[in-house]
Amino acid sequence: MNPIDDDTLQAYVDGELDASDAARVDAALTHDDVLARRVRQARAVRAQLRAAFDPVLDEPVPERLSALLQPPVAMPVTPLVVPVGTRTDTTRRRAPRRWFVPGAALAASVALLAVTLWWWRPGGELVRMQGDQSFAAGALERALDHALVSEPDAKAMVSIGLSFRSNDGHICRTFVLHPAPARAGLACHGDAGWELPVLGTAAAPEGGELRQAASSMPPAVQAAVDARLRGNVFDARQERAARDAGWR
Amino acid sequence: MNSSDAVREGLIPLLPRLRRLARALAGQVADADDLVQIVLERALARAAQWRPDAALDKWVFAIARNAWRDELRARGRTQHLFAPEEAGEMAADRASAQPAQQLELAMALAALPPDHLEVVALVLVEGMSYGEAAELLEVPVGTVTSRLARARATLQAHLGKDA
Repeated sequence: MNPIDDDTLQAYVDGELDASDAARVDAALTHDDVLARRVRQARAVRAQLRAAFDPVLDEPVPERLSALLQPPVAMPVTPLVVPVGTRTDTTRRRAPRRWFVPGAALAASVALLAVTLWWWRPGGELVRMQGDQSFAAGALERALDHALVSEPDAKAMVSIGLSFRSNDGHICRTFVLHPAPARAGLACHGDAGWELPVLGTAAAPEGGELRQAASSMPPAVQAAVDARLRGNVFDARQERAARDAGWR
Repeated sequence: MNSSDAVREGLIPLLPRLRRLARALAGQVADADDLVQIVLERALARAAQWRPDAALDKWVFAIARNAWRDELRARGRTQHLFAPEEAGEMAADRASAQPAQQLELAMALAALPPDHLEVVALVLVEGMSYGEAAELLEVPVGTVTSRLARARATLQAHLGKDA
């Protein structure tokens, strides 16, 4: 009988042998203590790995992960339009944790600071359709027009995130609508108002960390920002200047 | 249902296994879940590339393995991800079940070369066959076998006192 080599033994332990080879090992094990010991050792490694990692299966899945798999939000609007190619390039270029957060100045504006909407009307129309394009309306439009990240208010129902000039020259701003389920989107200013190319469900931030604030943006919104962002996002001074200039 | 919906819905039940695989690869809980996030975003972005006759789990695990490799490259360290003083924390995190033996296991995993660690994660943690792992890694089955044998020997040297 051929001796049982290491590869065969490993394959035996991992259930990779066919029935006849497995039977050959079984037979050898009955009278070969050294072989039996090697099998035990190989099994022990496998068992310890299972003991170490199988408990992960029973852990609750973090909200920030399960939120990524929620269906697109049924806003009274057209669905997300993100070219697949763009999104792929984006993810390949940048992991979400690094997102587009190059420096501390940006950190201040990424934090989703809130603005008061004292004229908020529950149930008011937030989106209007024009042709097949959707535009901000009501309180959302007013927040986009007036709210500054540098003038926060904790009671806000619309939070403005980033403001920046997109690569087609228009000024864009990300926003989050707070009434649950939170929705996030991107608005870009044009002659007809704030067009909304992307809306999605926002994951609830799990903590105060910047990374998590960035992560709470739905991937589709991140991708839309990435696809448009050229240069830096506005700091507080640029944001105010842009507002004073009517977002032109 | 379009392919994007199919992938999105199909991924939901796979999340626990994806997290387990990521934990084995990345070690720390936070790193592992960051990896899962990257994987989900890539999978959704590439949903159109998934063919319904292909197993979604293997497809997404391949994305996970490649994303992990990308992360390693981005960190510029292909051998040892963590400095020795971090390894202790990582080990504690990786094997939260505590026993000293599992701590040793986690430190031994952290010291494995990526080629070995990914085979261990796919075959011994996820439970893939050699053939499935070989296909995912795009290497011959014999390569999987030999990497696994060497990884096992390393791990056994760290652990095997009681066996």
